Amino acid sequence: MKNGLPRSFYLVLICVVCSARLLTAQVQDGRELVRATLLTDTATVQAGQKFHIGVLYKIEPDWHIYWKYAGDSGIPTEIQWHLPPGFQAGPLQWPLPARDKEPGDLEVFAYGSEVLLYSEVTAPASLPAGPIAIKADSKWLVCKSSCVPGEANLSLELNSGQTASDSSLFQRYAAQVPQVFPAKYQLSIARQAQQVTVSFSGTESSASLDFYPEPPPEVVLGHGKQLGNTVTFSIDSEGKALDRLSGVALIKDGSKVQAFQVPGQEFNHLKAAVGADRAQTLDLTAFLQAVGFALLGGLILNVMPCVLPVISLKIFGFVSEAGDRPDKAFRLALAFAAGILACFGLLAVGVVLLRGAGANVGWGFQFQDERFVLVIACIVFAFALNLLGVYEITVSAGATGGLARLASGQGYASAFFQGVFATVLATPCTAPFLGTASAFAFAQPPLITFLIFFAVGIGMAAPYLLLAANPKWLGYLPKPGEWMVRVKQVLGFLLLGTVLWLAWIVGQLKGVQEMVVLGALLLLIGIIAWIKGSFWNPVASVRAKLLSAAAIAGLVILASASYSFFTAPSKLGWQKFSQESLDAALDSGRPVFVDFTADWCITCKANERFAIDTAMVRNAFAQRQVITLRADWTNGDPAITEILKRHGRAGVPMYLVYPGGKNREPALLPELISAQSVLDALKRG
Amino acid sequence: MIRSLLIAFAVLVSSCGVTLAEVQVGKEAPDFALTDTNGKSHHLSDYKGKYVVLEWYQPDCPFVRKHYNSGNMQALQKEYVSKGVVWLSIDSSAAGQEGNYPPDQLNQIATKSGSARTALLLDPEGKVGHLYGAKTTPDMYIINPQGTLVYQGAIDDRPSADLGDVKTAKNYVKTALNAVMAGQTVATNSTRPYGCSVKYAR
Repeated sequence: MKNGLPRSFYLVLICVVCSARLLTAQVQDGRELVRATLLTDTATVQAGQKFHIGVLYKIEPDWHIYWKYAGDSGIPTEIQWHLPPGFQAGPLQWPLPARDKEPGDLEVFAYGSEVLLYSEVTAPASLPAGPIAIKADSKWLVCKSSCVPGEANLSLELNSGQTASDSSLFQRYAAQVPQVFPAKYQLSIARQAQQVTVSFSGTESSASLDFYPEPPPEVVLGHGKQLGNTVTFSIDSEGKALDRLSGVALIKDGSKVQAFQVPGQEFNHLKAAVGADRAQTLDLTAFLQAVGFALLGGLILNVMPCVLPVISLKIFGFVSEAGDRPDKAFRLALAFAAGILACFGLLAVGVVLLRGAGANVGWGFQFQDERFVLVIACIVFAFALNLLGVYEITVSAGATGGLARLASGQGYASAFFQGVFATVLATPCTAPFLGTASAFAFAQPPLITFLIFFAVGIGMAAPYLLLAANPKWLGYLPKPGEWMVRVKQVLGFLLLGTVLWLAWIVGQLKGVQEMVVLGALLLLIGIIAWIKGSFWNPVASVRAKLLSAAAIAGLVILASASYSFFTAPSKLGWQKFSQESLDAALDSGRPVFVDFTADWCITCKANERFAIDTAMVRNAFAQRQVITLRADWTNGDPAITEILKRHGRAGVPMYLVYPGGKNREPALLPELISAQSVLDALKRG
Repeated sequence: MIRSLLIAFAVLVSSCGVTLAEVQVGKEAPDFALTDTNGKSHHLSDYKGKYVVLEWYQPDCPFVRKHYNSGNMQALQKEYVSKGVVWLSIDSSAAGQEGNYPPDQLNQIATKSGSARTALLLDPEGKVGHLYGAKTTPDMYIINPQGTLVYQGAIDDRPSADLGDVKTAKNYVKTALNAVMAGQTVATNSTRPYGCSVKYAR
């Protein structure tokens, strides 16, 4: 709603009230949405003095005005200073805004209730005598469910004896303005394809990072995905290549939040204290660590129950085939190792190809994508159950038969295929590790994937090479026995720990609800694994196998049905319930349906699913233009408790149907409703 | 065994119904079907072979009003519709939200404002809004005769609600349409749209 009064009216007004402050009105439903006031922290100013001027915006509850980057919608608040000659205004200072959600998953950066936007001003070396007029023109957009632009032309006079100053207010807001980025933290902002990753180091381990970006106007960024000390943004569109990103970095430690302004510097130039070489070595250490673990992992594969007994047999075989030429035994072992490496190479190729194919269809293979983390957590959990002996992985006889023929006989070629054969035969024991490693490798670039898989292969092949070179060392080889099973089980628990870590990531990305979804999935996988292990083993009868298959299919169907039941979004357009929204709806004269519900209320969900959100009710609601309000009692909102009590109910569900028109008496529906009972209540009105 | 687990899992994940904006300049604009204020159904694919402009519209938004009260939007519509461009305005306001009017009322508003659009499409469920990732009103998209998106973003470079700014602003849509229709590439092919949020369901 624009103010229709001419500007000259305000000039007159200034003279009349002789006030240093000037308010303009932006009225909706008889209420001023934003009251803007021009303020100073000093009433009298001396030559050369630095002081502050600012506009204080007082905003109606639930409405907000916007930060310098408004977000998905909205317009940044604007101030233009008009100062006498010689006065210099610094850049506008923006206190930290709140990050809010608007319907439709739109994210905005905004201020509610009150904010002061201010600049530092330097007075000239010589001041004119008499009052000094300071003017400011401000424009803003204020939004709740609708948006209203507003503007104000404000002025005040310094050195006039008429103006009040309020330095404590300026101090209060100065404390909320992001500070200069300190040298004790390191921050890097890097771009990879259509993604910008902001990462921190040097912060306390309990701290988490957040980042409010300030992209240029040609660029549309996705919402930041925060994970520990990194925040990732997708670049949804760029009219001009994005080569730098400024913004505000937030370090949250408990309830303490520190905000720092990060200037835009070209990507891959590292911010603040961190030097380029340091980042390089960091990456190298991380990489060497990964390769080290991969080698170790490959070595550990050798103590698995299906591998260890084979080692001495193989070595004896090579030694006897070599006869009196010990160097031939080593060369045979080399061919055998090449066979093992070939297997791992193939596995790496598979991972890289699948990753490429997945990237093409838009799968995000990265730890910022909760679907990826969810899949990995499930795979790791399934393998953990295998290691703990809940079920066994079996290799099909057809595949092993063919390989066995190739591997029979003597010579380097057959030694090579024996290596392949040994690797494949070992899968029942090694699959948990290789599967887990492959899953993690999906998040890595191809070269790293290859190097890591080869490292695992070299680790697995190492004992053969060492022992073929020194057959005497066979005596040091640990004897196979029960302890191998124990090692396997301990490793199983290690994988369960990994699942816990992944669950934490999912929680960080998506919150507790998604974590519970993951828990439910793991439960499902656990039951399926148990059925497979107990009833669907190689010795089971056909009938037992069929029954198991049916049980598994039933479980999966049940699980997906209950998942969609609990998470399907309503097709009705619900407004948030409040006494005000109800009054406004009733004022419109249209019928009103109020759903009192809670996330944990199964009856509510069932009613919503089977009675309210049905085609019949949706059509009737559309026809009669029913306004639908939803009162969410999940957190026990006392205002809603009060209304429940008033209608004689102790809890949810509760449904009120207001017939519309002048009649403001609602019909109270029973706790269990059908589509018909909703329609009947509407017709009665 | 592992495979059946993965399949079971894929079924669960795919039922999440996550809709991501997959619209990008240089890629094919996804097809959709919506009904207009006169009850006529429109498929984007019906207009292959023509330039199509999508304009996210919400009559009560001050930024939309800026371009209609100044006559700017109608002038653009008139100019390009006469050159064979299909101009589809889309109202994604959900039921009960600002800008969600019955079709005949929207027709009245259109007549009063003298709009020269091809049709005003109704998207109260926000399906097409979410498909295209429309965030504000106005939010503009230009699709070429091959069905490729050639521009997305703001209508001009002046994010304000002031009528006066229309005259001095650089109109991105006009510039882009003139360029592509003359067989040239669009210099600024995407910008960040400005305005009110699209009034999706709460």
